[in-house]
Amino acid sequence: MAAFAGQGFETIVPDILQPADIFLDRSGENIRSRTYVFTDPSGAELCLRPDLTVPTCRFHLSHQADPRREARYCYCGPAFRFQPGGADRLHPSEFDQAGVEWFGASDAELAEAEVLAMTVAAVEAAGLRRYTVRLGDLGLFEALLQSLAMPERWRRRLSHQFWRPKQFHALLDQLAGVATRSRTSISGLIDTLAQAGGAADAVGLVEQQLAAEGLALVGGRNSREIAARLVEKALDRSERPLAQADAQRIETYLGLSGSPTDTAKALDRLAPDLGSPMVEAVRRFHRRNALMGAAGLPLDEATFAGVFGRQLEYYTGFVFQIEAADPDGRALAIAGGGRYDRLLSDIGSPYPVPAVGCAIHTERLAAACRAMTR
Amino acid sequence: MTAKLTLAMPSKGRLLEAAEACFAQVGLAVIRDGLERGYQGRIAALPDVEVTFLSAIEIAQALKDGSVALGVTGEDLLREAVPDGSAAIEVVLRLGFGHADVVVAVPQCWLDVATMADLDEIAVAFHARHGRRLKIATKYPALTRRWFAEKGVTGYRIVESAGATEGAPAAGTAEAIVDITTTGSTLRANRLKVLDDGVILRSEAVLAAGSEHLGHPVVAMLKERIEAVGIRQ
Repeated sequence: MAAFAGQGFETIVPDILQPADIFLDRSGENIRSRTYVFTDPSGAELCLRPDLTVPTCRFHLSHQADPRREARYCYCGPAFRFQPGGADRLHPSEFDQAGVEWFGASDAELAEAEVLAMTVAAVEAAGLRRYTVRLGDLGLFEALLQSLAMPERWRRRLSHQFWRPKQFHALLDQLAGVATRSRTSISGLIDTLAQAGGAADAVGLVEQQLAAEGLALVGGRNSREIAARLVEKALDRSERPLAQADAQRIETYLGLSGSPTDTAKALDRLAPDLGSPMVEAVRRFHRRNALMGAAGLPLDEATFAGVFGRQLEYYTGFVFQIEAADPDGRALAIAGGGRYDRLLSDIGSPYPVPAVGCAIHTERLAAACRAMTR
Repeated sequence: MTAKLTLAMPSKGRLLEAAEACFAQVGLAVIRDGLERGYQGRIAALPDVEVTFLSAIEIAQALKDGSVALGVTGEDLLREAVPDGSAAIEVVLRLGFGHADVVVAVPQCWLDVATMADLDEIAVAFHARHGRRLKIATKYPALTRRWFAEKGVTGYRIVESAGATEGAPAAGTAEAIVDITTTGSTLRANRLKVLDDGVILRSEAVLAAGSEHLGHPVVAMLKERIEAVGIRQ
């Protein structure tokens, strides 16, 4: 904490009790199964915060008239996570999380490099000596997709599947025409639309079909939404497949693994014939490397991986994780963080607010430090 | 030296009738103590076994917490109660009755949805449009979570349902359901359809035992006799 407060970060104490919706609607069921959710006497669904990032965002929104105004917060307090495999010393159900969140920074790469440098300084100040730093960049992946020729809906589907390797590769093969689409129970309807080409009145067709079967619209979706998806599916039939070379570029990017310096060279080889979003993202990558080096971070000891995105879907750009070996030699995350530019607007900010932060699992940090002195 | 074993049997319904018939057929008729409605019983040929009658869902729980050693219950309830990969309870034998499928079903009016992948895609659009997650009504939250995770579907929320799950989409309390079905007629009557890859489990009645009791001679004997009669086709 001293390491953070000394850098001009304001110490705050966000609420421990949080509305459950904001976590569950953000993160979905996988987080819900690990969150202590309960109903208060009035019937409202509350939870014990599983993490301090969202509570800090809520603190910011309730304390700043304009959420775009730059703010730097630090905190240290309890967080709660159900441990399905049983709680133990390294996987406690109640633990103290220390961290920083930096909103509205004007220089993105500088804020990222500084937050990582502060996190490394903090774990070193606690006595951690043997650790590894893993890096990733979801913004780079988005930029790569933007730079390749394909319909926007394909980009959306690919980035949605980024966190799920199995589904991602199945989708990529399908878009590249390597794997054939399997027939499903709705393929007949899509055939009808595809044969009619652009002339088809999809909404009319959907409404006609619903009327013929006597189906009322339930489930919160209207005939336009249903028709629009059918049209997209029909369009996919006639779309030129993703170029083999482009599919290969995506695989090459996801296969990247090495020091940030080596990765920068590999990106230069990948980027030159690509569009401007990727060129710009690679320029930012170089600049961040330089800033991390200037902040004294040993770049050659860190590992960047194209697939590294951490398991929290709210990250949107640079991500990092500091790991130490547990007593059985397995990698254990001690601290992690990154950029999450969409979270504040997702939970109520009227404007997009750039945000970067980190969190340290203090119990694991203490355990890792103790293990080293033994 | 053999310790007494507690065998839990379903306390009512078709599952009880089928289970009693199955045990009687292999010469192990279950005798209820006291009145017809007694909740204790025994098997004449097996003096080491105490029989207790519980609801099928309680049997799954009792096996899990170890208060009974053996039980006849639905595989769906067992899988729901026991975390995946847990070796604490094992299915000794599938009994060949009480068939039912646990399925993911969506409104028939969703003409653009056939697979779990479609469900995943519309979950994203649904969140963008309504600002809340797609709701799935079910009595099987654990099975649902595991299946959806395996299929890579994350953007949903479970609404635990106490009964009449299949009515939830029409009532507006959830958009889709995970429920049990035998013939599919209840789903059809509620204008729901099972996703092409939406069968989570093909369940049937099972004889299950806590893993520490697997070596007990009674377990081996039950298994041998029931298998010999070939109830399991």
